[in-house]
Amino acid sequence: MSAEALIMRGVTRDYPVGTAFGKKQTLRALRGIDLSVRRGQTLGLVGESGCGKSTLAKILLGVEEASSGEVLVEGRPISEYGRLDRAGLIQPVFQDPYSSLNPRMTVEAIIAAPLQVRGVGDGASRRRRTREVAAQVGLPDHLISAYPSQLSGGQRQRVAIARALIGEPKILICDEPTSALDVSVQSQILNLLHRLKRELDLTMILISHNLAVVNHLADEVAVMYLGQIVECGPSEEVFARARHPYSDALLKAVLPPRAGARLPELHGLEAEFPSPLNPPSGCAFHPRCQFADSLCVERAPERKGDDHFYRCHHPLGKAGGEITARPAPETV
Amino acid sequence: MAMLAAPLSPGRIAFRRALRHGGFWVGGLIVLTITLAAIFAPLLTQYDPSLQDLSQRYVPPVWSEKGSWDHILGTDNLGRDYFTRLLFGARISLAIGFVTVLISGIIGVSLGVAAGYWGGWPDLIINFVITIRLTLPVVLVALVVVALVGSSLWLLMMVIGLLLWDRFAIVVRSATQQVASREYITAARAIGSSTTRILFREILPNITGPLIVVASIEVAHAILLEAALSFLGLGVQPPQVSWGLMVAEAKSQLMFRPWMIAIPGAALVLLIFAINLVGDAVRDVTTPEGKA
Amino acid sequence: MDGPILEVEGLRVDIPIDGGVLKPVRRVDLAVARGETVAIVGESGCGKSLTALSIMGLLPRNARATSDCIRLNGEDVSKASRRRWRQLRGDRIAMIFQDPMTALDPCYRIGDQMFEILRQHRRVTKGEARARSVELLRKVGVPTPEERLSQYPHQLSGGLRQRVMIAMALLCEPELIIADEPTTALDVTIQAQILRLLRDIQRETQIGLVLITHDLGVVAGVADRIVVMYGGEVVETGTCDDVLGAPLHPYTEGLMRSIPVTGETARGETLGFIPGVVPRQSGELLRCGFLERCPYAREECAAGPVALRDVGAGRSMRCVLPSDDGVRDPDIWTRFESEEAAS
Repeated sequence: MSAEALIMRGVTRDYPVGTAFGKKQTLRALRGIDLSVRRGQTLGLVGESGCGKSTLAKILLGVEEASSGEVLVEGRPISEYGRLDRAGLIQPVFQDPYSSLNPRMTVEAIIAAPLQVRGVGDGASRRRRTREVAAQVGLPDHLISAYPSQLSGGQRQRVAIARALIGEPKILICDEPTSALDVSVQSQILNLLHRLKRELDLTMILISHNLAVVNHLADEVAVMYLGQIVECGPSEEVFARARHPYSDALLKAVLPPRAGARLPELHGLEAEFPSPLNPPSGCAFHPRCQFADSLCVERAPERKGDDHFYRCHHPLGKAGGEITARPAPETV
Repeated sequence: MAMLAAPLSPGRIAFRRALRHGGFWVGGLIVLTITLAAIFAPLLTQYDPSLQDLSQRYVPPVWSEKGSWDHILGTDNLGRDYFTRLLFGARISLAIGFVTVLISGIIGVSLGVAAGYWGGWPDLIINFVITIRLTLPVVLVALVVVALVGSSLWLLMMVIGLLLWDRFAIVVRSATQQVASREYITAARAIGSSTTRILFREILPNITGPLIVVASIEVAHAILLEAALSFLGLGVQPPQVSWGLMVAEAKSQLMFRPWMIAIPGAALVLLIFAINLVGDAVRDVTTPEGKA
Repeated sequence: MDGPILEVEGLRVDIPIDGGVLKPVRRVDLAVARGETVAIVGESGCGKSLTALSIMGLLPRNARATSDCIRLNGEDVSKASRRRWRQLRGDRIAMIFQDPMTALDPCYRIGDQMFEILRQHRRVTKGEARARSVELLRKVGVPTPEERLSQYPHQLSGGLRQRVMIAMALLCEPELIIADEPTTALDVTIQAQILRLLRDIQRETQIGLVLITHDLGVVAGVADRIVVMYGGEVVETGTCDDVLGAPLHPYTEGLMRSIPVTGETARGETLGFIPGVVPRQSGELLRCGFLERCPYAREECAAGPVALRDVGAGRSMRCVLPSDDGVRDPDIWTRFESEEAAS
């Protein structure tokens, strides 16, 4: 078996969009995604709203299908898995624990649902396993018969994680798992995810707009812009030496909660986020990029680099031993 | 945390709130009383609803000068006991109300859930069907069908049931759309749940609130419709008795013995009012606290 | 004019519920000087948004606010009539909301919404209103402002909508702007731009700015002073650099410890966190409100309510611990982790 838990090759996803007068348009949510995640690794997926990261998650969960391209899970195309096999392999943790739990079911029923659906074990063994997993995610025993409305945000997210883990999946897809939670609770969930990943040897895809969170948990980072991966590489590499101007801007936009922190100056990003219905020519980032020239307008950049790859005609950082184009850090 | 001592299901919480809701008590008690009276009608009266006694025609109710305790609500033009007829009439009214709502509810919920959950072309088709149904004037269609096929209680229930599903479909469709967009539905799909499980375990329990409200409106609607049809002579046929029929039979006495119309009329108003009170209460207690 | 733009003393908010009274805001004092940005920081349920709404006179109907005084530029408005409040809002005080999509009326063009505000408070002709609106839209960096006036909110991106909200807040040159999580709904790159815009405008116009947020990163970027709230009380105040540099109250400290910071926290390192959940705020506090969640808790914390005390250098804290770092244990915020997992 290969070392890759997950491989995506040239995955696209188009949505037909009708307008009032019946003119058909195509929304290209994903425009050729190449990604691979090694077993036991965490891939952080960052990008702004509308970049397609949630669509990507839905394709991995089998809730939506790719329009073209290949998704391999544990070496087999995702479409070859049956509904239940796929569910046993890949599980999600969603952003909003207020929306991801059925208000009419008890915590126990919610956590045990994956086993029930797949007909694993009898009632008694399922109950035992439910309690086991609840303990594993730090959910107090007395909450097991409660309903979601009686739980705090952090407790709800623990329930969602327990539901994802009960069937012993190999891959966990966390879509903004902490952004709906309070700061002090966020860190508990991050600690929990990290501990579980280590204990259970999970492969994890962590989707987040919060780069500090991604940097904290992810071994690799992929930066998405308008349905494409514009840069991808080991976290240390990308966070220390971003090559794509967009990754660089995202990194600079992080506001550290430290005394003396200053607001970053982001050049060029004032321009509006382009519509995926009508993506810019050439490099999709060129209308917002301070380094863009005619080449960027005309031709889409190829993928460059191997382990740390990027799509940019004018990458930042070293080029022939010299630092190019990178502006001095702004201070105010 | 102390407040978690006794976990209550959302349904039980709503029920507890209902017990503190005045409208629920008043409406519920009236509906319950009328239902019990209808069920135990033979035990509550010594007469038969169609027993004629021509020597006792037009006996006024007990509160008028010539009234007697033999006939508490008096007698009609054939000397039948009005109280007995009212009790047996309640049977028909309630049966019509509940059976038709069962029929229309099943049709409307199925269509609404299908349209709301799948969207796309099923939604288009179902919306078209709903629109067609809305263009049909209910009373007129019912009249025509009954006039063509002839009248029986079961036919009446079927006809009304097949006509009153539109509100169910519309409300359930939008409620389903709302629920279907929640992440727990995506989560259910991601754990491999079958569509049946999603529809019955995830969606239906979460649309019961609006469903009960619509059901209460439609019960009242069906009862009124039956009364209207019976009044026009195309509803329940003698010797069966319904409140609408009682009003119809008494219409010639409107000027001379107004109580004959007032009594079944008042019974109808009371029942409809009570059902609506219960429906409103259900709506109040199923909306989140503080938003009522 | 000297003196603060806004002075709030003893602000309380009560919400009567079945069998009791919720007290989401308990005697909050607040002062904002001209040209100053004060950040009110805290997690959901700490009372920061209700505090802001009380200052705007916009509390929900079932909530009651009482205060010793709310002075706006010297005028006590705590007992002002509804009519006076309507004059003040949008004119002397303006508010910027979290979600510009829901704060702008989708049925009206941007221009109409802006003219309406001007006509409420100023005698202006249509032409003047238009000129003023265009001027402000340009100032907040909205491209082609003339065209935007005839657009509807849904035609603008999230960042542009928030810029429009800011322009609307500035229309009548208010003395005070209250911004409630102004960038929470926006993407990170847009967030930086909007914060920059707010700060630049505020420096230029010397408006007092109250910034309500849960994001300490945002605070670090723009605030002059920080007011940390927990459980309806102010638990710590001080300048931005002082509080973030050396938090005094255990709650502030816990918050700071729970945020991963690129370049400081090692990958996968156990983050600090505050155990437990925010308690429901009902009845009077008989002891320290943070007691159940505080790793430093000791006997005296339960003896009675803790007062907000001045610890010099313009800082204050509501805690019995000494204000120097003598007893602090750097690992205390991660120690609960193992206990929590074991329970």
